[in-house]
Amino acid sequence: MKLQPTQRRTLGLVAVLVPLLALLIYVALRSGPLAPVAVTEAQVTSRAITPGLFGIGTVEARYTYKIGPTVAGRLKRLDVDVGDRVKVGQVLGEMDPVDLDDRMRSQEAAIKRIEAAIVEATARFTFAKTQAARYEQLLAVRSTSEEILLGKRQESQIAEAALAAAREDLARARSDLQALRAQRDNLNLVAPVAGIVTVRDADPGTTLVAGQAVVELIDPDSVWVNVRFDQISAAGLAAGLPAHIALRSSGGAALKGRVLRLEPMADAVTEEILAKVVFDQVPAPLPPIGELAEATVDLPALAEMPVIPNAAVQRQGDRPGVWRISDGGLEFVSVRLGRANLDGLVQVAEGLKAGERIVVYSEKALGSKSRIRVVESIPGAGK
Amino acid sequence: MISLAGRDILHAWGKFVFTGVGLGLLIGVTLVMAGVYRGMVDDGKALLDNSGADLWVVQQDTLGPYAESSSLKDDLYRTILAMPGVARAANVTYLTMQVRQGERDVRAMVVGAAAGAPAGTPGTPPYLVAGRQFTRGHYEAVADMATGFKLGDTIRIRRNQYTVVGLTRRMVSSSGDPMVFIPLKDAQEAQFLKDNDAIWQSRRRTEANPAINRPGASGVLDAVLASQSSNNFVNAILVRLEPGADPDEVARTIYRWKRLTVYTRAQMEDILVGKLIATSARQIGMFLVILAVVSAAIVAFIIYTLTMDKIREIAVLKLIGTRNRTIAAMIMQQALALGAIGFAVGKITATFAAPLFPKYVLLVPQDSIAGFFAVMAICALASVVAIRMALRVDPAEAIGG
Amino acid sequence: MATKGIRIEGLRKRYGSGDTAVDALKGVDMHVEPGEVVGLIGPSGSGKSTLLKSLGAVIDPTAGRMTLGDEVIYEQGWKVPDLRALRRDRIGFVFQAPYLIPFLDVTDNVALPPMLAGLPNTEARKRAQDLLTALDVRHRAQAMPSQLSGGEQQRVAIARGLVNRPPVILADEPTAPLDSQRAMAVIRILNDMARKYETAIIVVTHDEKIIPTFKRIYHIRDGVTHEEAGEGRGFE
Repeated sequence: MKLQPTQRRTLGLVAVLVPLLALLIYVALRSGPLAPVAVTEAQVTSRAITPGLFGIGTVEARYTYKIGPTVAGRLKRLDVDVGDRVKVGQVLGEMDPVDLDDRMRSQEAAIKRIEAAIVEATARFTFAKTQAARYEQLLAVRSTSEEILLGKRQESQIAEAALAAAREDLARARSDLQALRAQRDNLNLVAPVAGIVTVRDADPGTTLVAGQAVVELIDPDSVWVNVRFDQISAAGLAAGLPAHIALRSSGGAALKGRVLRLEPMADAVTEEILAKVVFDQVPAPLPPIGELAEATVDLPALAEMPVIPNAAVQRQGDRPGVWRISDGGLEFVSVRLGRANLDGLVQVAEGLKAGERIVVYSEKALGSKSRIRVVESIPGAGK
Repeated sequence: MISLAGRDILHAWGKFVFTGVGLGLLIGVTLVMAGVYRGMVDDGKALLDNSGADLWVVQQDTLGPYAESSSLKDDLYRTILAMPGVARAANVTYLTMQVRQGERDVRAMVVGAAAGAPAGTPGTPPYLVAGRQFTRGHYEAVADMATGFKLGDTIRIRRNQYTVVGLTRRMVSSSGDPMVFIPLKDAQEAQFLKDNDAIWQSRRRTEANPAINRPGASGVLDAVLASQSSNNFVNAILVRLEPGADPDEVARTIYRWKRLTVYTRAQMEDILVGKLIATSARQIGMFLVILAVVSAAIVAFIIYTLTMDKIREIAVLKLIGTRNRTIAAMIMQQALALGAIGFAVGKITATFAAPLFPKYVLLVPQDSIAGFFAVMAICALASVVAIRMALRVDPAEAIGG
Repeated sequence: MATKGIRIEGLRKRYGSGDTAVDALKGVDMHVEPGEVVGLIGPSGSGKSTLLKSLGAVIDPTAGRMTLGDEVIYEQGWKVPDLRALRRDRIGFVFQAPYLIPFLDVTDNVALPPMLAGLPNTEARKRAQDLLTALDVRHRAQAMPSQLSGGEQQRVAIARGLVNRPPVILADEPTAPLDSQRAMAVIRILNDMARKYETAIIVVTHDEKIIPTFKRIYHIRDGVTHEEAGEGRGFE
């Protein structure tokens, strides 16, 4: 049958207008507030999770030895450089003695002079004592007067006192000399422990004040990581837990270690808990002190419980909860959350049972009236 | 009576539909333009919604944290938390910067949010489209899809590298830049850290200062350097109220006792929509007016031309006794049909074109409905010119001579 | 005096006023009986068009009287209130160019006047189809005007002029674009229709081929008509 022109035209127009109208309806329903929200769902599973704690810190040495002179002076020589290993008692350098040797020689001369004075005082005392004894005998035979005897006895006592004074003088001079010698010995900078030189602050010729450090030593075996954990997520942190330490320079390769101790003092300003994590085996080239390190502490595995991805947790008002899918409808369920692990799984202590289906990701914020469309992954958010 | 307008459209429907499509593209541009404006407003509102806050506590006498810079000591939130009516308070930092990933860099707003905090703490992303929320307190990032980052990507903010662990959607700043959430402490550092060279130079300057680097007091220098390279400031404190608390009342109390400026949701919206995008909005409004006028002129011209083509037929129709009303209705119906086709085409093209725009284009159904009536009104108005002309046609013209 | 057909007496039409006034018609008398086909012949500028438009109730004459059947259309400045309805119901038009409505098919083109008069569509179409049958273009009833030949178009136009059974039909150069054979066919149809439907038909023409066919001819010159007898030659 041949179509009439009018009918043919009508068909043509309809062929254009109907798809246009269909497209318009599709557009109106599929975009804007009328469109269903794409969501992904997941089942609540019951499983055991191993929570972890994550903190960052810096590599530090437990003991740092700062070695410097005890008196002001000029540095004469310094034999070690940064990175050198030193032994206990090794002389690292020496301060310039300046006039110390001359003063010791002068002191020695003074001692000799005092010794000569002692000899002289001894001679005087011996003579005075002898004289006093002789006059005693003379008085007994009445060949001298009592007055003369008293004079001789006094001379003898004076001579004795002079001798004692000279002896004390000698002791003082000798002590002085001893002190100078001690000072002379102290000019050597000596390593108190075996370790590595980390800092060399001064070079020969530098004038130093008392107590200023010339070199710093650390004990390589005492290297640890001073880790800071956010107080919010530090539950369960305890000494003795195993830890993985990733040094920034090693590109994420983890070294084994353990938590040595928790500092009793937390940082009130940064709201962090401080802990010391030690290496099980100190890495062979010693990591630079001050290098950034990440420490992940493994807590003991927890008992099996329903767990959900933390992305599923939303809030309504101030209550945390999740959107439960039931018969195609949505329902907001308040939950009480338990511990979480570092992979983003969190325990549900109350509110959900294993096997229930919940919304994990959604295209936009959900409400209880939202129409949903369950998809494999949210469009545009593919891996 | 048959429909003269319908028959005329049928007679030359190809021409008619193509004219409608052309008009539709113009209407589509108008709708998109309205969508751009709505998108800007929505960007601002999304920013407020996604922050999850009821109150914004900022530095005194600033319009922060979005419209002006603001800085607060980061321990202030504890005192805010103790105020009556406050359920949650969380520090937040905002910093718009280039975020590097491999060879490219993306303009993004880096948000420092409390990591590992209980779900729903203000400032953290309220929902995700992929991945997970932070679990580590450092070096993890949740990025918006619009950045183009994928899960597992390593991105660089200042000196530190972050792993993208989660993706969000429609988390944007008021200027439409996608957000990248990183843990607060990292963000505080990022906000302060310039670059390594700057740090070195600053250190050298401090060391050269004899007042600080005194011999015999070596500890002073270390302390000064440490204090120089730490940042205990945040941009704002986001506050969530207890159910039933009056925002204005709590805001007044905080302002009165803590001497900090506090904005409620309504005030914040006013700042973002009223101040931040006011000029752009007016600009777009101007464009909308121009487009509407141009559309009206084009519709009028099209209808006028269509009528001019039929002037002979109209004269004949009048001669054989067609009522003026019938002729006017014919022209009016054609104009409205053209408008309807144009609107449908415009709405469809606008919807499909909207996602292609670099910034968010939000097509609101109310706008579409208003647009439909505006198009119809414009078409009806535009046909008036043609109708007037058609009615002035003298039936005697058909007789000629 | 009861009259049939169309009759005009002392019809005057003045364009403009004052010094520039032009008298296009200076007192025209004319009458056409039902079933009669008369010719109206005159050179350009003779007032022929003005007379035609006055007869067609498209322009108002300045003075004079016009009656259509028993009804007075104009009388010394007075006129029928609804000229449009008058045109629709009582006057048929056939033009030099057919002026069919291009977006309506043949049937609807013919059926349009009755539809405009308020007749239901089916009835109007039925009437149109009857006329098309009578005019031997029934087979093109569904065609669009652009698909018709010149003669067919003219026949459709005549059908449209006749469809409302008007007492008078004004035909303006209906044969101008046609060759003599077709022109004669058109004239034959007009005569047939005039007889069949008792219609008064006025044919304005200067087509030498058809002038001999009229029994009566009005010559118009300088706004005045002169009646004369035509040859009334048969065309069978």
